[in-house]
Amino acid sequence: MPIVALSDASLTLWRGADVLSFIDGLSTNRVAELSKGQLIRTVFTDSNAKIIDCLTLFHMGDFVVAAGHLPVLDKLLNHTSRKILGQDVEITDISQRNDLFIEFDCENKANEIGTFSSQGEITRGNIASNYSLLVASKGNGPSSSDDFTEFNQWRITNKVPWNGYEITNSFHPFACGLEELVHQQKGCYIGQEILARMRSRGRQGKVLSQVETMSCKPANITTKGDTQSLAIIRS
Amino acid sequence: MDCGTCDTVSPVQMVKPEVVDVALTISESAKNMLSDAFGDDRSHALLVGVLSGGCSGYMYDLQIVESTDQDCQEIAIDGFRVLVPTASSHLLDGIEIDYVEKLMGGGFKINNPNAESACGCGESFS
Repeated sequence: MPIVALSDASLTLWRGADVLSFIDGLSTNRVAELSKGQLIRTVFTDSNAKIIDCLTLFHMGDFVVAAGHLPVLDKLLNHTSRKILGQDVEITDISQRNDLFIEFDCENKANEIGTFSSQGEITRGNIASNYSLLVASKGNGPSSSDDFTEFNQWRITNKVPWNGYEITNSFHPFACGLEELVHQQKGCYIGQEILARMRSRGRQGKVLSQVETMSCKPANITTKGDTQSLAIIRS
Repeated sequence: MDCGTCDTVSPVQMVKPEVVDVALTISESAKNMLSDAFGDDRSHALLVGVLSGGCSGYMYDLQIVESTDQDCQEIAIDGFRVLVPTASSHLLDGIEIDYVEKLMGGGFKINNPNAESACGCGESFS
């Protein structure tokens, strides 16, 4: 399966007795019950429900490792660290010690999704049925491509949103195709009132769509392909 | 994956909030409710803390405790012991602890001059 290197991914280690409840209280998905060997994705949103970062959390047992987007890491840390107050939460940036990759166009079995496994230096997180996140210690990753062309074409075909393209601070999770990361029953978090209102009224504004490249307004295109593109447009 | 746990990796430098000497007040209605709750035993204290979460980012946390592991400032008001965690002092300076009797949304209420906004239910603020 093709593998692409993610040069703009961040990796942070979150340690402390309050880590899961802390992340649960500040992000869209229910992560409080995450247990060792499981992974989950969740979105940190601001008070306007716009995305700060979308994290993939690996529960390693004694701590949680979070993969996110490096350009917004400072913003994420600034957002979260001032809310730690007296809670037992310590965050360490381990981005420089690791390389991250996406293996795409693969076929993960249903019982593998939401779990991860380690083989040698590589940890493979099965995010979805058709792609996985690979994390390896620096210089020990699999052979991969740095060229995003094929990956982006695959994303367009499969309507997979990505950091820096669709997943940006310009959009809320519903607009960029992250509905499944917004838990319907969990309690309050920053941005929750807006997202709950949108969902209950059935009004989600703009949504992620596959469009014909030539017939779509260029400003709405988030990932451009030759014939088809991804765009966030009014539904 | 290299988690950096085998050797020493410095944690991210966190924003350390300023520690302030907290001044707070308790309304008459809240004092009456606290008198009912404590009775004659004033060995317990009212812990007024802040947790992360809620629609606005911070949530109030009120507890009656005998003691706490948290580093706290202790304030005596009309015979009541009030504990405020040092880590949350910058968010709680100047608050009024009130008690509101309503069928919906009644109970202890914090009036906080530091809050820029609060969520609809009043349990969280930013």
